[in-house]
Amino acid sequence: MKKILLACSAGMSTSLLVTKMKEAAEGKGIECEIWAVAQDKAPKDMKEADVLLIGPQMKFMKKKFEKTAAEVGIPVDVIDPMSYGRVDGKAVLEKALGLLES
Amino acid sequence: MGTVNKFMDVLENILMPVADKLNNNRYLTSLRDGFMIALPLIIFGSIFVVIANLPFLDLLIGEEAYAEYQAALAPASAGTLSIMATFVIVGIGYKLTEFYEGEAIYGGVTALAAFLILTPQVLGDVTGVIAAENLGAKGMFLGIFTAFTAAELYRFFTEKDWTIKMPDGVPGAVSRSFSALIPITFTLSIFLMIRIIFSYTPFGDVQNFIYTVVQAPLTALGSGLPATIAAVLLIQIFWFFGLHGQIIVNSVMDPIWYSLATENLAAFQAGEEVPHIVSKQFIDSFIVGMGGSGMTLAVILGIFLIGKSRQMKEIGKIGAPAGIFNVNEPIIFGLPIIMNPIVLLPWLVAPVVVTVITYMAMASGLVPPPTGVIVPWTTPTILNGAIATNSWQGGVLQAFNIVVVFFIWWPFLKILDNQYYESERDDEESTNQSA
Repeated sequence: MKKILLACSAGMSTSLLVTKMKEAAEGKGIECEIWAVAQDKAPKDMKEADVLLIGPQMKFMKKKFEKTAAEVGIPVDVIDPMSYGRVDGKAVLEKALGLLES
Repeated sequence: MGTVNKFMDVLENILMPVADKLNNNRYLTSLRDGFMIALPLIIFGSIFVVIANLPFLDLLIGEEAYAEYQAALAPASAGTLSIMATFVIVGIGYKLTEFYEGEAIYGGVTALAAFLILTPQVLGDVTGVIAAENLGAKGMFLGIFTAFTAAELYRFFTEKDWTIKMPDGVPGAVSRSFSALIPITFTLSIFLMIRIIFSYTPFGDVQNFIYTVVQAPLTALGSGLPATIAAVLLIQIFWFFGLHGQIIVNSVMDPIWYSLATENLAAFQAGEEVPHIVSKQFIDSFIVGMGGSGMTLAVILGIFLIGKSRQMKEIGKIGAPAGIFNVNEPIIFGLPIIMNPIVLLPWLVAPVVVTVITYMAMASGLVPPPTGVIVPWTTPTILNGAIATNSWQGGVLQAFNIVVVFFIWWPFLKILDNQYYESERDDEESTNQSA
């Protein structure tokens, strides 16, 4: 079970992506839990997650999240703006899985 | 193209650190998160203000019954909206103490106690009462300063480690409440001294001092048209570089915009004329929020009306359902708006034009200014404007503004669409040729 956490300002636009990512995961037969939160909740939820992806509009928060992420030992990255704009669940899922493998 | 890109790189290199600094500043972060803690309570109160002031209800049930109905619902907002500074104070004290990894809840309640120590507890000849306005709009700035200072002092005294150590075997909760005793005692004593010192000044109390010297001038500045246009432009510029402009600008402007909104609400509830045009809702409902940052609902409309390229149509399909609820990241990143020189002009100009139109419409009395009720930002446009101003005119003004934004965007959207269309055709031709 892979646990993927997404974060943006209010967890709204990332939750669009969650739906698409779940569809993509189902299509591939990958079991995973994917959820989105507002940025102020992310540090808490990071403890439950295997990877954190942040919306490109919040990329200035990366440094702050990296500190907590290092403590709980999970990778963090910013979602590519184009995939974000297209709500491309497949691409973002692949990114998350890629981060988990490396 | 090369110089344009270079110019963009330079600008991004300037903006990114600014966003980073503002966002990671512990005071601004705890301020924003503190407001976030108060938000559900504020929205609860707002909902009941809206229900209590439903239009035409007085005609329907008669004036007497309407007055009773309003009185019955009044405590909902009196217990939340009218005293919202107290929640913000607890929120800031909590969040700042949490940042320092201290006992957050003690940071929160110490901040509240410090604020109440500074607050006059006399009204006319009656002692033992606190005027609600001091816990609401009027107390907002003092509350924020107090929360910062109290949390800092609490941390300072905790780190001095002048704590009372309990012997082993004492339950954790008991020893924790004792370990907070000394830091809290020192912190609150300092605030008591501040209060006593101010009682010897012409201001009489700290509330009065901060209100006269800091809050009133600052909110007056923030409610003016030039400062509002500057703030709106800044939000747009940050977004153009793909950074969440509101989060960044609001972290500085929210105390001002919320204070103005709460003053409006107090007047609205008292049946008086609403004093300020610019407030939290002016920005959220009328300027920034029509379909999401940069009023992209009109852009979606444009995509449906003039888009002939596949790319345009695809973005419209993805963006429209979310756009109705004012979530527009698909449009911002998908069109794309960010870093796209073709749409920079409408992106910057449209919100400024709408700001001026809305300001004028409200200043002239054509449309009533927002009442101070907080409308959740996901409320669809038109409904949003009607609720925020408690009038149908608010909804009409939003509809009008969407049309204005649409016409400002139109030529630029057309250029973009043509570009996509051409490149799609070229792609098809080259595939056909190679096939």
